[in-house]
Amino acid sequence: MGAVDRREVARFVVVASVSLGAATLAVAILQDVLNVPNPSSLYLVAVVATAIASGTWGGVIASILSFALYNFLFVEPRYTLSVAQPGEFVNLLLLLFVGIVVGQLAALQRRRADEAVAREREARSLFQVSRALATRASTPDVLPEVVSILRSDTRMGRIWIGLGPEPRAEKVVADTGDGPRPTSGVKQVLQRTPGDAPARWGRVHEPNAPGARQPTENDVFRVRIEAGAEPYGSIWALRPREDRLPDRTETRLLAATADQLGQALRQDRLAAEAQAAEVARKSEELMSALLQSVSHDLRTPLATIRAAAGTLQPGTPLSEEDQRESADAIDREVEYLNRLVTNLLDLSRIEAGVLRADRDVFELDDIVGRSLERLAPRLADRHLEVALAAPPVEVDPIFLDEALNNAIENAIKYTTPGTPIRVAASPGADDGVVRLTIEDGGPGVPDDALPRLFDKFYRVPGGPGGSRSGTGIGLAVVRGLIEATGGRVRARRSELGGLAIDLDLPAAPPHPLDHDAS
Amino acid sequence: MSSRAQPARPTVLVIEDDEETRRAVVRELHLRGYETAEAADAASAFRRWEQRRPDLVLLDLGLPDMDGLQVIRRIRREATTPIVILSGRYEERAKVQALEAGADDYVTKPFGVDELNARLRVALRHAAGPSADATGTIGIGPLTLDVARHLVTVGGRPVDLTPREFELLRVLLTNQGRIVTKGRLLRAVWGEAYQGEDSYVYVHVSQLRRKLAAADPDGALRDLIVTEPGVGYRVRDEAR
Repeated sequence: MGAVDRREVARFVVVASVSLGAATLAVAILQDVLNVPNPSSLYLVAVVATAIASGTWGGVIASILSFALYNFLFVEPRYTLSVAQPGEFVNLLLLLFVGIVVGQLAALQRRRADEAVAREREARSLFQVSRALATRASTPDVLPEVVSILRSDTRMGRIWIGLGPEPRAEKVVADTGDGPRPTSGVKQVLQRTPGDAPARWGRVHEPNAPGARQPTENDVFRVRIEAGAEPYGSIWALRPREDRLPDRTETRLLAATADQLGQALRQDRLAAEAQAAEVARKSEELMSALLQSVSHDLRTPLATIRAAAGTLQPGTPLSEEDQRESADAIDREVEYLNRLVTNLLDLSRIEAGVLRADRDVFELDDIVGRSLERLAPRLADRHLEVALAAPPVEVDPIFLDEALNNAIENAIKYTTPGTPIRVAASPGADDGVVRLTIEDGGPGVPDDALPRLFDKFYRVPGGPGGSRSGTGIGLAVVRGLIEATGGRVRARRSELGGLAIDLDLPAAPPHPLDHDAS
Repeated sequence: MSSRAQPARPTVLVIEDDEETRRAVVRELHLRGYETAEAADAASAFRRWEQRRPDLVLLDLGLPDMDGLQVIRRIRREATTPIVILSGRYEERAKVQALEAGADDYVTKPFGVDELNARLRVALRHAAGPSADATGTIGIGPLTLDVARHLVTVGGRPVDLTPREFELLRVLLTNQGRIVTKGRLLRAVWGEAYQGEDSYVYVHVSQLRRKLAAADPDGALRDLIVTEPGVGYRVRDEAR
């Protein structure tokens, strides 16, 4: 036990004198007024009280004082320390013995209670630290909470946490105090030992550290944050110089917190690495899926264009009509390639999350009418039915136009001439939603394929093969564009027998009245 | 029409950095009877501009040495020569900015030669003078708009329009075939104070379309007012 605390001495003096005084008074009353024989055991109460307050040594001193006081004041001959009768002497010795034993027991109880409280507090602090770390988005975010827990549950003056592999290059991310952090040439560093041996504080001298010669009234403590032999940073703490080293509980709390932080930081790092690897893997996957899906669709029209361009060379014996057909073929294939490239660009924008919708109020027949007009030559004999009576929508017109193009293209691609295609708008089931449905009377898709229809590169198994079997991009673009403009998409079986694609678009807010006198 | 102000063969300055595109456009323009001058960047474009003022500028927005908007502003400081923009898709904002900076129209890449020709023709025609005839009436199909009498008729029957709808139709018709941005319509019909209230334009265009459709049972005026998504409106060009 180190230097005796002045506060503890003061407490001992107060408790011992009050309890011994009270016991002496009580014994005097019992023995001299009420003539009770030998009430010396009352002093045991004072011994217990002092032992509880001041521990074992307090109990021992109180026992000796009780022995002396009783002997001096109440044992014949009174007011001397001599004892006349041998029986009284045995009594006195018994008082001393019982006093010491009872005092010990009381002090032990007291120590256990103290320890239990300390452990409970330590457990609570650790629990708070664990919970903060378990619910973290990222470890640095919860460090301010951690330092304030440590600050309130240890007798440290100021606590901060720095992150970084090198103590001098650490970045402080949480600090219970403010102002410049003191540096010192002498630090108490917690020396961790593997196994069960308790950690110890060790003095480390760094005469060349910045600020090493500044006089400080505080000791600087440092606990390294490590995990898997990798340094992540340190917990730093200040404590007035005249205070002793942190006690076992405080040291354990600091060490356990450092361990947990180390694990959490390591997890963060591993998660970041895993995520980076996942992103790389995904983009590689995307790339190969992309190449697989478009290489065919790119090459076929290129072949057509090259062949048609060859026939247009001067000197080829081609009728004017054949020449026109070649020129038209080039035009068609270029248009096809243009749509493919547009979709690829859209898809990459969707993937990169850089689509910015520029929303404006439109009536559906305005935008849809335009798209249908452009697609009209490709509809061939498909029977098109259009019903667009619906409230105005607030969408990015380019996105909707592109989405519609793809949805209708899709319907054209998978149906034969003569099949009905219906484009219809209606107020949606929910408020503020207008539903635009593109459906066809084609073969449709199996129910279990419906949920995956908008996934990129997804092609319905057993769909039509051939040189233009689809890239699995069009409907992915539909979903990306519609969601980017605040809508939702869904695929279902159509009443016409084929596929129905619902685009739920945000309805325009009611328009403020414009005072336009007639 | 109105060939009085035009030289017999109008000259088009083609400013486009991609050589293949530029040469294809130039070939096409020669075929249609235009004279051409070429420039692959803004610096040489201004040299050509100084040597000989063209009748029309065909400008690619993505030049290597200067922002297309700056090129438009610089030309506009000196002349009202019509400027038609070549732009990529997804450049609505750039298109609107270019139009607000003084460009007359745009063609989106990849464009067909017919579309390019139609735009050039309209731009040249508007440069030659307003399309209202001597008596101050503008006509297209069965539709006539009498500016002085504030009267719109379809097939001889008057159509009841509010003052704003009339103004809207007048601005669109005087720019027949040419894109009119929503911002320009707002300024012309509502005034500067309404800047940014694009939905006013949309609401009134919708009403205008409905009234014209109701007065036009034959559907001759269907799709008269074409929406250019994200940019503005254009009245179908019927002058061939």
